[in-house]
Amino acid sequence: MVSKLLRRIHLYLALFLTPWVLVYTLSTFAMNHREWFRGKPPASPKWEKVSEQVWEGQFPEGADRAAKARMILTTQGLDGAHQANERDGKLVIQRNAAITPLRLTYTAESRQLLVEKQVVEAAAFLERMHRRRGFQHPYALEDTWAFSVDFFIAAILFWTLSGFWLWWELKVARRLGALALIGGFGIFAFFLKVL
Amino acid sequence: MTFHHLNRRTHLYLALFLSPWFWMYGVSSIPFSHNQYFEELDKAKGIPPWTKRAEIPFEQPVPDGPELRPFADQVVKLVGLSGSYGAYRQSPKQVNVYVYTFWKSTQVKYFLEEKKLVMEDRRFRWDHFFTGMHAKGGFDQGGWHNVWGVMVDLVCLGLLLWVVTGLIMWCSLPVVRGWGWVALVSGVVSFGVFLWRL
Repeated sequence: MVSKLLRRIHLYLALFLTPWVLVYTLSTFAMNHREWFRGKPPASPKWEKVSEQVWEGQFPEGADRAAKARMILTTQGLDGAHQANERDGKLVIQRNAAITPLRLTYTAESRQLLVEKQVVEAAAFLERMHRRRGFQHPYALEDTWAFSVDFFIAAILFWTLSGFWLWWELKVARRLGALALIGGFGIFAFFLKVL
Repeated sequence: MTFHHLNRRTHLYLALFLSPWFWMYGVSSIPFSHNQYFEELDKAKGIPPWTKRAEIPFEQPVPDGPELRPFADQVVKLVGLSGSYGAYRQSPKQVNVYVYTFWKSTQVKYFLEEKKLVMEDRRFRWDHFFTGMHAKGGFDQGGWHNVWGVMVDLVCLGLLLWVVTGLIMWCSLPVVRGWGWVALVSGVVSFGVFLWRL
């Protein structure tokens, strides 16, 4: 009964999380061979102009960088996870997005707002997806993604543990399985020693 | 041996062989995902992360371009450190060389105006141990470091084979096909929504 339940959870969890497994696998490969995919040093992302306009909004008195960035994003209908930097009278907002991140540059003196989108590039997209995690942004969608990452982590640990259980139940596979397990642990321990 | 038997055994033995990596990537993802929590936990200890080991007079020109590895080579040889290493320009007046092993991290700061190297060791932290291992990869360090890179590729291949062999096993079991489709389609749709909205 326990084995059947473990087997079913092992399977259905794997089927549900197949897209996550594929994205983490492909992104790991792309990062392991970053030079192939992005050159050395990695090429800077390319940006494409979306719009340029005079921004009509007015910042409240004493608004800090974060408040200004949030206000610009909100007025553009683009509120969401972002980072902002302010230097030499320019406020640069990087609006996170899975496929096409945006960059908004607001020049205080001319009140110009330049909106650009990142040119889609497969390796950069995979790397972004791989690195996207954590609960640091005040947005429900970001937290939901972060929760899905935690769920994936729990699944990894569950697959390993349930996999051991299911292997041990297969008496015929115990010997070769033990050999594979010991071989893996031996090589891993060797790396722990030399690296 | 039938095809399905071979498929099943590939799934199992590959998983057992690669289980230390799989386990390591799983455990190390926790501090990545909850970085703030671990940082605050460590900050509460009130122990400085770096300890000064030595200060050495040093004077060498630093290349102007972004390629600082030859400079890092010189520094690493001079101070007698081993591990994977690299360098970056901290400021126009300072270049940092970092040397990393799974167990120990050292940084060597070169202050150009003061003409000196300052060596500092980072205090060991378990979360850094795991995240360091998780992030290790690539083929620019040579030796066993590159063999680790090959292992990372092997883990990627293993994951792809798990997906393929797992799907074949699922398809060959009519009793789980219905709920399997529900799980697979709902996973793909959820992921698609994230891609669209994130």
